Amino acid sequence: MVAKTLYDAFFRRNSVMLGVVFAGAFAFELGYDNMMNRIWDNINRGRQWKDIRHKYVQGGDDEE
Amino acid sequence: MAPLSTVSRALARSAASASVRLPVRAMSSTPALRDHAAASSTYESPFKGEPKTTKVPNFSKYMAKNGGSANAVFSYFMVGTLGAISAAGAKSTIQQFLVNMSASADVLAMAKVEVDLNAIPEGKNVIIKWRGKPVFIRHRTQAEIEEANSVNVASLRDPQSDEERVKKPEWLVMLGVCTHLGCVPIGEAGDFGGWFCPCHGSHYDISGRIRKGPAPLNLEIPQYEFPEEGKLVVG
Repeated sequence: MVAKTLYDAFFRRNSVMLGVVFAGAFAFELGYDNMMNRIWDNINRGRQWKDIRHKYVQGGDDEE
Repeated sequence: MAPLSTVSRALARSAASASVRLPVRAMSSTPALRDHAAASSTYESPFKGEPKTTKVPNFSKYMAKNGGSANAVFSYFMVGTLGAISAAGAKSTIQQFLVNMSASADVLAMAKVEVDLNAIPEGKNVIIKWRGKPVFIRHRTQAEIEEANSVNVASLRDPQSDEERVKKPEWLVMLGVCTHLGCVPIGEAGDFGGWFCPCHGSHYDISGRIRKGPAPLNLEIPQYEFPEEGKLVVG
């Protein structure tokens, strides 16, 4: 019954399936990029500019 | 052995339908290796007793136990997942190539901008973007140059003569960022015929000098040069 529901919801029409696939690609990319950035930042903790910025730049974000 | 037996069986069938019963061996170009003795003596149809030759075998052993939809959902899910990952990968690949081709931040920070001055008529302002900031270029008329020179420099808040601010008197080039809090002033406005900052009401004259309002300094002059007639390079 679950299978039937899923089939009817996502796969019965090709257009719906294509939409789901692209939405899934978008979500996957967001999640994947986030995860990989987090892993990268974790490996390079303390070595990146954003980690040591407070030692050299006082004050908030200076845009000008 | 399979093709051989097929051929012999076909031959046997045609022989069976033919009225003249010939030994199979006589019609076959290939030697019948198997039971040629039996074929030559007696023949029995392999379909004897079968009412139909199109009987469908029983596939129930191989059929899904729980109906087909679960398998279909699984298959479509795998196809869709592969498609989604492929789409994300393709998009990322193309995006990284395009990002790689665009100018990097250190190149942009040193950027120069070339302006064709012939396109700017006399008495008109042009605003261009240079290193993320607006740059005002004004083709000043003779009357405006005289007006800028007639001001008593000592009376100004940020004393600067017009000669210090321009390389060619008819071309005024300056950064369009108000020295007060960084708004972009409006051209051909204000009490002194120059620029007016709408944020806090600073008035700049036709040479970009602060005349009235809260701004402490004249509008900044960037580095620029005229490499040839009708060309201006900012930066």
